[in-house]
Amino acid sequence: MANIGITTTVPVEIILAAENVPVDLNNVFITDKEANRLVEGAEDAGYPRNICGWIKGLYSVVVERGNIDTVLAVTQGDCSNTHALMETLQLVGVETIPFAYPFDRDYDLLKLQMDKLITALKTDWEQVMAVKKRLDGVRSKIAEMDRLTWQENLVSGWDNHLFQVSCSDFNGNVNEFEQDIDQFLLKTKSANEFTEDIRLGYIGVPPIFNDLYSHFEKMGARVVFNEVQRQFAMPYQVEDLVEQYRLYTYPYGVFQRIEDIKGEIEKRNLDGIVHYVQSFCFRQIEDMIFREKLDIPILTIEGDKPGKLDARTKLRMDSFLEMLR
Amino acid sequence: MFCGIDLGSRSVKLVIMDQEGVNRSEIFETVQFYRNYGQPGKNGLIVDFASVGVGEFDKVVATGYGRNTINIVGATVIAELKAHVIGAMWQTGLNNFTLLDLGGQDSKVIKVRKGKMVDFATNDKCAASTGRYLENMATVLGISLAELSSYKENPVELSATCAIFGESELIGRIVEGYSVPELAAGVNYTIFKRIKPMLHSLASEVIVFTGGVALGKAIGQTISSELGVEVVVPKYPQLNGAIGCGVYSWEKRG
Repeated sequence: MANIGITTTVPVEIILAAENVPVDLNNVFITDKEANRLVEGAEDAGYPRNICGWIKGLYSVVVERGNIDTVLAVTQGDCSNTHALMETLQLVGVETIPFAYPFDRDYDLLKLQMDKLITALKTDWEQVMAVKKRLDGVRSKIAEMDRLTWQENLVSGWDNHLFQVSCSDFNGNVNEFEQDIDQFLLKTKSANEFTEDIRLGYIGVPPIFNDLYSHFEKMGARVVFNEVQRQFAMPYQVEDLVEQYRLYTYPYGVFQRIEDIKGEIEKRNLDGIVHYVQSFCFRQIEDMIFREKLDIPILTIEGDKPGKLDARTKLRMDSFLEMLR
Repeated sequence: MFCGIDLGSRSVKLVIMDQEGVNRSEIFETVQFYRNYGQPGKNGLIVDFASVGVGEFDKVVATGYGRNTINIVGATVIAELKAHVIGAMWQTGLNNFTLLDLGGQDSKVIKVRKGKMVDFATNDKCAASTGRYLENMATVLGISLAELSSYKENPVELSATCAIFGESELIGRIVEGYSVPELAAGVNYTIFKRIKPMLHSLASEVIVFTGGVALGKAIGQTISSELGVEVVVPKYPQLNGAIGCGVYSWEKRG
């Protein structure tokens, strides 16, 4: 039983089938009480100041926390900084395994990647598919939580974000995670309905800020759609595991993501979109595509270091809500 | 009479006005204003209006960078972008335009259609397109801000993305023998280059140009000639946010 650190969502079924513990390094980093110090630690080690804060946090989590046995790094379909992250981890003796989502969503190439991962972790398809069945049950509960967010208005944007973003590694313990969602659903059935007048969609990578959702709610708006987090939760339940990771939009081109977002804008009756971009990230370029293709007001928010929203960003959020009203 | 206050990052603008127009106005350095007339209270900043000496008024509306951090006791606080839109509409009588506000540390570009803000962009990571940058460059050149902002012919190429490195780049150009008018024009042109993408994505046929930077002629003329748009600088460009607050006192428009 080894702790396998992951840099983003990967076919977690394979890690679990091999009886290893998946650890989403992003979640460990961002929930660390000293998240900012982790970023500084990477900078002290030599990481440039003008590189994504997430990558620096991931590096420090592995190097400083010392409980990660192997890092499964996504080298295509997430972030090219991961290449150098792997190399700098190798430099300090950490074992890494690469995993690449094919840009064109090619079925055979993706299956080959999964085959190689199955071999590397010493498991087989039969065990992997058994885990998939188990996870499908948990994921359907997460889908229900998502429905309760936008359709019944019983779940906050933050809870919606947290449960879905946690589906990358199921907090390292599927049974406990399932108990958590079961309890949450039970509690939610009798919760008070949210009554904000503005319904927002959140697109882009999860935020490095820790008070974005609560600030919107304080200002009378609620996020009822978390695009990438929902994708982490594998919303499209299909029999074929390769197909499941082909339908998953995040690692591929932006246009498939746009189709997903368009459908959800309609379905969830959104008033506006918040596009979160990370400082120094290539995805900032995609903002122009979203603005071209999505016929809805968009606020682009940029985050660099972990922590609270700065006054300027709050001012822009504030103005955006004023505009929507 | 109504009082509108714009708590800017570099200066506090205050107007006393009614439907007829601006009765009087004051501009204070932000830190001096807080130091001389402000006192922290339990519910926000208590401003001693009697000491400010702007006479009697019925109502105070405030806005500015301090909106999220400072509440003026007894004042209605409105969002900064909203105040600027209201101010620009009242000053120009226009309802469809793009507002460009270049202040002490902030650049704002707001697209207005039928009197409503429909999209906006602000600088949020860098203040190299703002008044403070121009102040620093004027100091390097040894000329006044007013003089600096009058030059636009034969701009020297300046490429530093950082306002501070821009100073040393400018010094390098001085050593190369360029004239002050060419150097000053270069500085003004860098402002235009930095705001151009925002003006492109939020384009209108008319640009209303406000903020302290609009007091200079060159940047507005460059925007007009390079983008082929009409640039309107209202009577009180620097007081626009404060005027918006004043107008909000009786209009209450959202």
